[in-house]
Amino acid sequence: MYLESLHLKNFRNYDALDVTFNQGVNVLLGENAQGKTNLLEAIYVLALTRSHRTANDRDLINWQADAALISGRVHKQNTTTPLELTFSKKGKKARVNHLEQARLSAYIGNLNVILFAPEDLELVKGSPSVRRHFIDQEFGQMSPKYLYNAGQYRTILRQRNNYLRQLQRKQAKDLVYLGVLSDQLAAFGAELVAARINFLAQLEQWAKDVHQVISQEREELAFSYVNQVKATAETTVDEIYQSYQEQFERQQHKEIEQGTTLIGPHRDDLHFLVNGKNVQTFGSQGQQRTTALSVKLAEIDLMKAITGEYPVLLLDDVLSELDDARQTHLLRSIQDKVQTFLTTTSLSGIARKLINDPTVFDITSGKLAPESSANESDAAE
Amino acid sequence: MDYPEPIAQLIESYMKLPGIGAKTATRLAFYTIDMDGDDVTGFAKSLISAKRDLHFCSICGNITEDDPCVICADKTRDQSTILVVEEPKDIMSMESMREYHGLYHVLHGVLSPIEGKGPEDINITSLVKRLQEHDEVKEVIVATNATPEGEATAMYLSRLIKPAGIKVTRLAHGLSVGSDIDYADEVTLLKAVEGRTEI
Repeated sequence: MYLESLHLKNFRNYDALDVTFNQGVNVLLGENAQGKTNLLEAIYVLALTRSHRTANDRDLINWQADAALISGRVHKQNTTTPLELTFSKKGKKARVNHLEQARLSAYIGNLNVILFAPEDLELVKGSPSVRRHFIDQEFGQMSPKYLYNAGQYRTILRQRNNYLRQLQRKQAKDLVYLGVLSDQLAAFGAELVAARINFLAQLEQWAKDVHQVISQEREELAFSYVNQVKATAETTVDEIYQSYQEQFERQQHKEIEQGTTLIGPHRDDLHFLVNGKNVQTFGSQGQQRTTALSVKLAEIDLMKAITGEYPVLLLDDVLSELDDARQTHLLRSIQDKVQTFLTTTSLSGIARKLINDPTVFDITSGKLAPESSANESDAAE
Repeated sequence: MDYPEPIAQLIESYMKLPGIGAKTATRLAFYTIDMDGDDVTGFAKSLISAKRDLHFCSICGNITEDDPCVICADKTRDQSTILVVEEPKDIMSMESMREYHGLYHVLHGVLSPIEGKGPEDINITSLVKRLQEHDEVKEVIVATNATPEGEATAMYLSRLIKPAGIKVTRLAHGLSVGSDIDYADEVTLLKAVEGRTEI
């Protein structure tokens, strides 16, 4: 899958833009605050109808205009599909092949993207909730059953926490009802844990391969899913359910005393191990970056396995964070496979030589120009 | 300029209805002024009578003019099954099927601690009492909605009632009749496949 062309109108700092892209690597080159990331954001929004930078769609509309438009042509197998999104004060409209889609879920999925931005380092350095959110979001996209189970789990957890607080304050006393809530939570929790372990095993395999390439085989990446019932790939859903039930019974007193649910996948974590050591505590900055990048790049293969097409890769300011060797291996591993958009303030000699026929765009104040000839002669040196 | 008091009060009254804001309430209020006098009187009367003449049935909790309600008073109905629903309007839906001839019980809600509804706050105690007094009841069908709260309520009822040797059943999940499979959402399909039956 690749994005053939993009058209923007009144999107952020772009008044109007019409551009055709390369199937391989597209480099967005420019100084700070010129609109490089805005362009990546436009592609991200075109794919998912929402931004990764803001929850408010109004922010996407140029401050002097009332409405913004993003449209693009997506090439998949042998067909080209036009996608179009308009944002106005009244909301957004999504069109596939010029037909308006009543449900956004019917629109999303026509263009698949994976974004790697500097914030993604939080996946490794951040709190367990960041990793749980990542797991739920990624797996939810791939499996409707997972999405449903996660939603049910959240609702029951809220009810159970609320009821435990009432029990704690002696405003309620019915332990049969608590048992029902525990039973429900154990059932959905067991489904979630089993699915997470299964999906993570697949993701780990791909992440391991990517990590090996980027680190020149010096580092070995492994995942460890940390949970309270010691579930592994061999544990069945029913066994996990039984373990949760036992724990709920054993900890009932403590849970009522603290007025909150102490057991369940909402307390689990994912550890990334590099050469056997937890990279969150023992890894260097560079190792942490590489780990986050490997996990994100592994999603490319995961998405290919699930949807049958490679997604489009968006790399926001990633090159500058990696040393030359890691840059080289990253670029080698992605080119000729996935269409890539990368933003950078300067293109190093290595990257320039490595990438096969990149299209380089100079971005200045929301205008795009093919790279000037002066730079090309630089490259020839 | 402020609205004259009667209009302002009428607008405020309309705004108490669900889904009606200031704009709609104002439009309805001005429409009411232009309405025929008899219609307005009839409207006001039915509002009052709905509130004054309707009670909850002391047996099943359904809304009714007389106590007990027509369903509970009808001795020709099957006295051995009770169908438990969340709201009185669910009884109307079940009755329109014309195939269920047993009795009903209205919970007036589902268990939901977040909304402050525990086991004592919905009509469960009266159901248990009813079952103790009438040992001819052989089956309780739980027809709460297919939400996490509806499921929890169903499980809670089964834990209370089953030990007494009464059969507790739950409505099936699955495809709606006469619908195309490609219109069903993924979770409905999942439930339909899980609950498949042999033919």
